[in-house]
Amino acid sequence: MIEALFLLYFLVLLATLVFKSRIVTGPWLFLLRAFFPNWKFFHATGNVPHLYARWALPPEAPSDLLQWSDWIHVFPRRPRRLLHLFHNADTNLALVQQNLVEHLAADLNHMTADADARALVSYQLVSRLVCQSLQAQQADCTHGQFEVRMVLDGPMGFIQEDTMMRSPVLACR
Amino acid sequence: MPVSSAVRATEVLLALSMLLQTLEYLRMRQALTVQGLWAWPVQRADIPAGPVQKLLDLLFADRAMQGHLLLRLPVLLLLAWHGSDLALAVFLFASHVLMLIRWRGAFNGGSDFMTLVVLTGLLSAQLVQLGGDPHLAWRAGLWYICLQSITSYFMSGWVKLMQPEWRNGHAMTIFLNAAIYGPLSASSFLRRPWLARLGAWAFIGWECAAPLALLHPLVALVFCTIALLFHFLVFWFFGLNRFFWAWLATFPAILACSAQRVFW
Repeated sequence: MIEALFLLYFLVLLATLVFKSRIVTGPWLFLLRAFFPNWKFFHATGNVPHLYARWALPPEAPSDLLQWSDWIHVFPRRPRRLLHLFHNADTNLALVQQNLVEHLAADLNHMTADADARALVSYQLVSRLVCQSLQAQQADCTHGQFEVRMVLDGPMGFIQEDTMMRSPVLACR
Repeated sequence: MPVSSAVRATEVLLALSMLLQTLEYLRMRQALTVQGLWAWPVQRADIPAGPVQKLLDLLFADRAMQGHLLLRLPVLLLLAWHGSDLALAVFLFASHVLMLIRWRGAFNGGSDFMTLVVLTGLLSAQLVQLGGDPHLAWRAGLWYICLQSITSYFMSGWVKLMQPEWRNGHAMTIFLNAAIYGPLSASSFLRRPWLARLGAWAFIGWECAAPLALLHPLVALVFCTIALLFHFLVFWFFGLNRFFWAWLATFPAILACSAQRVFW
């Protein structure tokens, strides 16, 4: 009897992979999603959101146009250390920032046509991330702007990218 | 592994895992302050307005947050040294859920989910003990942890098996290139297509076969040994150190449940 129950349990799990059901959403379900883990890790390749940003220094005269830097890829890369198995705060913080960009892309995908992205918490947090990243590179920059680009990689590297959104100019001070 | 040993091992490993998590949180506390990237005044808009939002405003104030994290340290040492009781299990469960909310549902994804699973097993065992047999309560708690852990490998394997990019090995190279320690060097041996395909199929096969670990304690031991190597590799290539410790805390449950000889 117990064997049959276990078999049934794993068969039901397999069935959930084949038969898709409606996705239930809500603010508390999002915040408490740890109670409903789907255990799908690194499962699908495809377009991945990447964050690009650029900075500008304050204009010399109010009538001057902003002079923008080139677009910079805001993407975490860190050196590897064996000791990080025990303490890896910096890397984990960088990873959660990359997750934030993925959440913004998902939020943008689910937004209605008349909604304002600036009201999204994920947008506001990414704006802060962009300003912090830009000021780490150019301490006296006063303006920033970012793009979310959907990047498709293959085993040999980059294949294509599309710009999903470009932010308005951000005041970084 | 006897149930009593498995319970102690689970408590010690959970304490270690959460201790490392807490020390990392303390190290990055600047990011959670009002001036930091993850400022609560911005994030509170995630919470529907009402008394819960007001309560969280108090709990996530900078000083309260730091006090909460510091309090976790002696509690976790107590868990490792003395074992769990109901008050301790309730505190750690509530503390973990609060941290999940503070990080918008998850800080580190799967490791947060698995830590919650172990805490749920611990808390359930403590609650069931209030009105029943402690041995039965711990067995139920361990079975919950064991099943969730086995499910995590099983689902992760089958979902990969259904993706053509995993079956042909491309996915492994793509993920390694995009990893925090990436990209792979042009001459990396992991770029060899046959090796990527072999590695992908080895992990898919092992993950899909996870339920077999319940058949015999020896199979469970081999399964957990491979799992340890697997999680170390995930740390080594993707930086996910928390996954290593979070899943390690579930291994005593797998070993104990396989020893109960349910299937033979």
